[in-house]
Amino acid sequence: MQNEVSQTKPSGPVAASFIAAGIGSVVMGVLVIANDVSADVSNFLKFDANFGLGKGVGPLSGKVVLTVLAFLISWVILHLVLRGKEVNFTRALTIALVLVGIGFALTFPPIFEFIVGLFR
Amino acid sequence: MNLTDRELWAVIHGLVLGTLFLLAFGGGLAGLWSLRSRLVTEEGVVERTPRLVLGTSLMALVAWLTVITGTWIVYPWYRATPPADVDQKVQGAALEAYPRFWLLASDATKDWHNFGMEWKEHVAWIAPLLATAVAFAVAYYGATLIRRGDIRRGVMIFFTLAFVAAGVAGLFGAFITKAAPVS
Repeated sequence: MQNEVSQTKPSGPVAASFIAAGIGSVVMGVLVIANDVSADVSNFLKFDANFGLGKGVGPLSGKVVLTVLAFLISWVILHLVLRGKEVNFTRALTIALVLVGIGFALTFPPIFEFIVGLFR
Repeated sequence: MNLTDRELWAVIHGLVLGTLFLLAFGGGLAGLWSLRSRLVTEEGVVERTPRLVLGTSLMALVAWLTVITGTWIVYPWYRATPPADVDQKVQGAALEAYPRFWLLASDATKDWHNFGMEWKEHVAWIAPLLATAVAFAVAYYGATLIRRGDIRRGVMIFFTLAFVAAGVAGLFGAFITKAAPVS
């Protein structure tokens, strides 16, 4: 196994992309809750009306734009940090899966409605 | 035999792109699953790697196209607000052109929006993130992915989660379209 690993490219860049996807997922989940908790945040997230990104999409436009930006920016940063490095991929995958799991959970209506209820 | 513009986009978003996504997932997962040195010869790996890169890249591209068309083309029609003279509390003919409000007008259908659409519109966007990471990993390692069982396992897990996210969105999309079509 170790010999096989040494014969391939380092895993850092792949770990970076996986963790970045996890970060994007969490950002989506957090924005789903923030949108329901705060009217100010909800108004800000209307990127269609505020920045001309489409028409009639509402706060979803801001949620997805910020999610994609979080994914891309974190990917670039993590890639620069981890490029050329062999990392513990199992640990990186675990981190990524936890983040993705949080993202899934926070978009699940019974969970995000419960959390939103705590703020009201 | 005629489709309105809205129906055509709903078909492109849900049926055409959804079918491509399913095909790419099925082929990609089978390719990744069998990518083991005891199952494939070196020539076999070299032969199938371009197909695997293409399949996972196609899946990522289709995932992006699906959520972009869904969010910026179909969704505004779904959530459009009816004029003031349309009764929003009765599922009448005038409200049919406003699917979100039509669903919310009845206790029997409101959960299609409150649960189904609320989950679908958000969880769907996780799919392209995961699919892109998968496509990058497969393209990055290419034929040498067979030597990295740890990466291959991670790729398959992410690949499956991308499918689950898209599957949830697709399933609720189909149910919601059945209950209140965008037409």
